[in-house]
Amino acid sequence: MVAARQQQRRWYGVPVLLALYLGYVGLGAGVLQALERPAEMQVAQHLLQEHWKLLANYTCLQGPALQRLFQGIIQAYKSGITLQGNTTSLGRWDFSGSFFFSISAITTIGYGNLSPSTAAGRIFCIVFALFGIPLNLVLLNEIGQLMLLGVQHCAHRLEELFHWQKKASLLIKTCALVTGLLLFLLLPPLLFSEKEGWSYEEGFYYSFITLSTIGFGDYVIGMNPDRTYPGWYKNIISLWIPFGMAWLALVIKLCINFLESSSDICQCKKKSTEMVEDLMDGSKTNITGLHNLEICNHKDTKAKGLDESHSYPAPKEAQ
Amino acid sequence: EAMCSGKLQTGLLVAGYFIYLLVGAAVFQALERAAEKQEKMAAAQMKEAFLQNFTHLTVAEMEQFMKNLTEAIQNGVYPVGNESQIEDSNWDFSDSFFFAGTVVSTIGYGTLRPKTAGGQIFCVFFALFGIPLNIVFLHRVGKMLSLLCKKLGKFLYEKGMRKKRIKSLTLLFFLVTGILVFLCLPSLFFQMTEGWSYSEGIYFAFITLSTIGFGDYVIGKQPGRNYFSYYRMLVAIWILFGLAWIALLFNL
Repeated sequence: MVAARQQQRRWYGVPVLLALYLGYVGLGAGVLQALERPAEMQVAQHLLQEHWKLLANYTCLQGPALQRLFQGIIQAYKSGITLQGNTTSLGRWDFSGSFFFSISAITTIGYGNLSPSTAAGRIFCIVFALFGIPLNLVLLNEIGQLMLLGVQHCAHRLEELFHWQKKASLLIKTCALVTGLLLFLLLPPLLFSEKEGWSYEEGFYYSFITLSTIGFGDYVIGMNPDRTYPGWYKNIISLWIPFGMAWLALVIKLCINFLESSSDICQCKKKSTEMVEDLMDGSKTNITGLHNLEICNHKDTKAKGLDESHSYPAPKEAQ
Repeated sequence: EAMCSGKLQTGLLVAGYFIYLLVGAAVFQALERAAEKQEKMAAAQMKEAFLQNFTHLTVAEMEQFMKNLTEAIQNGVYPVGNESQIEDSNWDFSDSFFFAGTVVSTIGYGTLRPKTAGGQIFCVFFALFGIPLNIVFLHRVGKMLSLLCKKLGKFLYEKGMRKKRIKSLTLLFFLVTGILVFLCLPSLFFQMTEGWSYSEGIYFAFITLSTIGFGDYVIGKQPGRNYFSYYRMLVAIWILFGLAWIALLFNL
């Protein structure tokens, strides 16, 4: 009977969730439209004025020739080539560029400022990503594990040292969250504003968009031809990306646990452990390796005998 | 000793990861560099040809013009065609909806993106809550699909098949039907609506469903094509179920 009720609740949950999901996306759409449209109008106006001004100044410029020029420029832009200055400048597909591209493919960030234009390149990209993405997930899982273990160790140490009880775990978790926030989201923009010339807000936006693997590609580090970057810069970024992604994945998992726990009113133990098992079930619902984190955290914390009432994945296990 | 082998495993993993990246980088470089060189030469020639035809344009003016043009293109404004295009915005509601969807699913094509500071900050917080929501949603849809799968398994079990065989059969079934429904058929569809080749369609489908989302191919952005009114919505539904299918595959 309990099973039937649970089944019922599950079936009921999906339409509600769907409505919530669509509503949320619609809300975002409305707000973004309101924010972005005026600015876009301005740019379009400006460009058209330029266009007409140019045509007016040089009356011999004929429509078709100009259109062809535009097409050519657009085509070149899409291939990642800027037509300014001397076009004999360094290409984008040098080794470091290709390396960065590989990273953006298997982390699923996918900036797109550089993308394969040959058919062979595209096919290779598919195959490369097909095996690379799981590899990346496994690596992120390992990093996440290490971080989590580090936090738990600290919590234990503090408990032993100061004989605190449950307070210690909350404190440590908040500390870890704040440290991660500083290290991965709040401090890097300072570095970016110095090296890339972005504003702080742009740097923060870039950091979040990268670490969440959305990766628009409007801001990409190290792509400004007018700037010189020190050798350690790209190396630091290569460290920041995987660690930051693992940290953000942990944070998002926390949010998910919160969401899932608040959507279940019935607190009976069987339901909660079943739900936890569902979460641990290895369903890949997020490219950033959430599922692996869930499985392994669950198994590891049990195996290592850290009888965790304060580990990220399962707040309900404490019951 | 278990700890030791664990550390070794981690070390191997990290090394393997880096080697994988290096190999990929080398191959991409080998494949793409030649094509890029050709594009550059073509672009330079085009510039030359243009300058030759309009000799009274100085190089400096030309550079300035190119710069303005490139900036406009980066902002998503394509100055091809006549000025009635100023009425079409990139940010009408269906575009914004599609954009919000790509943020929340972390695909992030990038062809459309917020330029104002307010839009960018909103985007960050929107994603911060939207991504977990998306994950939970996909999780549920995946579970729903997997229940279907279990029913199929049960049906086969009652017909007398062994459990192991059922498991591999259902996995195979979902894999094959998924590939057909989410990769092969949509590519045919895109061939019709976007004018891409079949392999380009597959590439687009894969890059989208894996949430990489380069943005080199995006639906509904070909100039001069007419898209029927619910096109984008249809594609959004495809993306949603395709992502859920991938979630299901990992669940099996």
